[in-house]
Amino acid sequence: MSIELILEPFQYGFMVRAFVGTGLVSIIAAAVGTFVVLKGLAFMGDAISHTAFTGIALALILGISVYVGALFFAVLTALGVVFLTRISKVNNDTALAILFTGIFALGIVLLSGTPGFSGDLNSLLLGSVMAIQAKELMLVASVALVLGVVMALFFRRFVLVSFDPVGAEAAGFPVAFFQGMLLIIIAVAIVVSIQAVGVVLVVALLITPAATASLITKRLKILVLLSSAFGLLSSFLGLYISYFYSWSDSCLSSHSLIWAYLGNPETARGID
Amino acid sequence: MSHVYSADLALNIKNLTAGYPDNVVLKDVSWQVKKGTLAAIIGPNGGGKSTLLKTAVGLLPPFEYKIMELLGHPPRTGRKQVAYLPQQEEVDWNFPITVLDVVLQGRLVRQGLWGRYSKEDYDSSHEALAFFGLERYKHTQVGSLSGGQRQRVFLARALVQEADLILLDEPSTGLDAKAQHELADLFLTLSQGGKTIVAATHDLNCLTECFDHVLALDGRVLVEGKPDEVLTEANMVKLFARHFPKVGSRGEVMLHEH
Repeated sequence: MSIELILEPFQYGFMVRAFVGTGLVSIIAAAVGTFVVLKGLAFMGDAISHTAFTGIALALILGISVYVGALFFAVLTALGVVFLTRISKVNNDTALAILFTGIFALGIVLLSGTPGFSGDLNSLLLGSVMAIQAKELMLVASVALVLGVVMALFFRRFVLVSFDPVGAEAAGFPVAFFQGMLLIIIAVAIVVSIQAVGVVLVVALLITPAATASLITKRLKILVLLSSAFGLLSSFLGLYISYFYSWSDSCLSSHSLIWAYLGNPETARGID
Repeated sequence: MSHVYSADLALNIKNLTAGYPDNVVLKDVSWQVKKGTLAAIIGPNGGGKSTLLKTAVGLLPPFEYKIMELLGHPPRTGRKQVAYLPQQEEVDWNFPITVLDVVLQGRLVRQGLWGRYSKEDYDSSHEALAFFGLERYKHTQVGSLSGGQRQRVFLARALVQEADLILLDEPSTGLDAKAQHELADLFLTLSQGGKTIVAATHDLNCLTECFDHVLALDGRVLVEGKPDEVLTEANMVKLFARHFPKVGSRGEVMLHEH
């Protein structure tokens, strides 16, 4: 493979934007995803991405910013799940799964039933990073920067409330505050990732890199870095292949992630 | 309501009723623990040992009480000097965190919303690790240690937190006899250094040697006092009788639970 071939995609503005957008999104999703994996919140990620879709659908129909709609629904879902499992005693995956797929289906009905919007459906479900505009890219970059800074500033506190919330709360540490903040970060990371990879595959971007990295290291900082690296590599790989073969880029990205997970010798040995 | 805060008490509870929304576990419990005491809570499963500890540190909201004080302060401010060690099975031992990072968390809980680790924080963590003989494990993932070592990591964190009251839920679970004795020795050393230790335990073996105060709890306070006063046959029968299986006249096994 000649150097020209490697650099070929970058002569197009839309491909450069796609690489920058995917890169930012996959790094931030993978880093945030570390906490999702450690806390066993994969289900929460799934719920958020599905209801965020309906938020986007409503925003499109109402003519407001899709990010506002998505974020509103995402944060509402995150807090709703916490409320349902903590305050009331509904700890029922089945009921929650039915509720979220129901909300998701409602979004699809709304969007496909409104004339002029059915075209957006496909790009929302499967992502459309190659169509990302400079303005959106700026937004993604700013959000990624803010999330990165917040993660770095409060990293140890997020670790504390993930590892030993009980002991921390007993000593008067503001556990609920940091758990809530972590959930909002997860919700925001999912919302900015939807543009790139779509609703259906965003959970793969969130969880698979961290799950793969956790098979390799037991050191938390290395885990976050490795997870981000996996996220970045696989999404770039996905974009490359999709440029040359015009297959779906988001599906390729998540596929390379999933193979990295499955292909890991530790997975084969069945380590928890 | 005006409280009389007694400075000599590590734990001061009066007329506490507590439990879960559909299950009142503790009824009208009063208990005082003097500072520097090694106190044990014993009783059958469901008797409220954990509920008492959790309510005392604010993990469970009390239904009713006349007085609740930690180290002579109302719970909100007293908690800063309290360390609570949950049951072993309540901790996620797969979590990728090193021994040193767990111990440093003692400073984090004091800092609250904001703050960085200072050199003094690191020094005090290394000191605590050395005190518990854990220095060579400082970069080890905490879950890969033995049960006794894990307990010591959490005790080291309590020292770094400068906690004066340490509450432990079933600390001897999963420990072999040797590790249990080592733990008891540590409790003694800590209490001689002025710490108050309160442990909920179902292990009646070393109570008389290790603790100087025992609370027998079965929903209500059955009896409390020095171990040899509390651990009489009559008291133990009263405390555990309904939880012993009995063999009936036709050889059937009957469990007395209500």
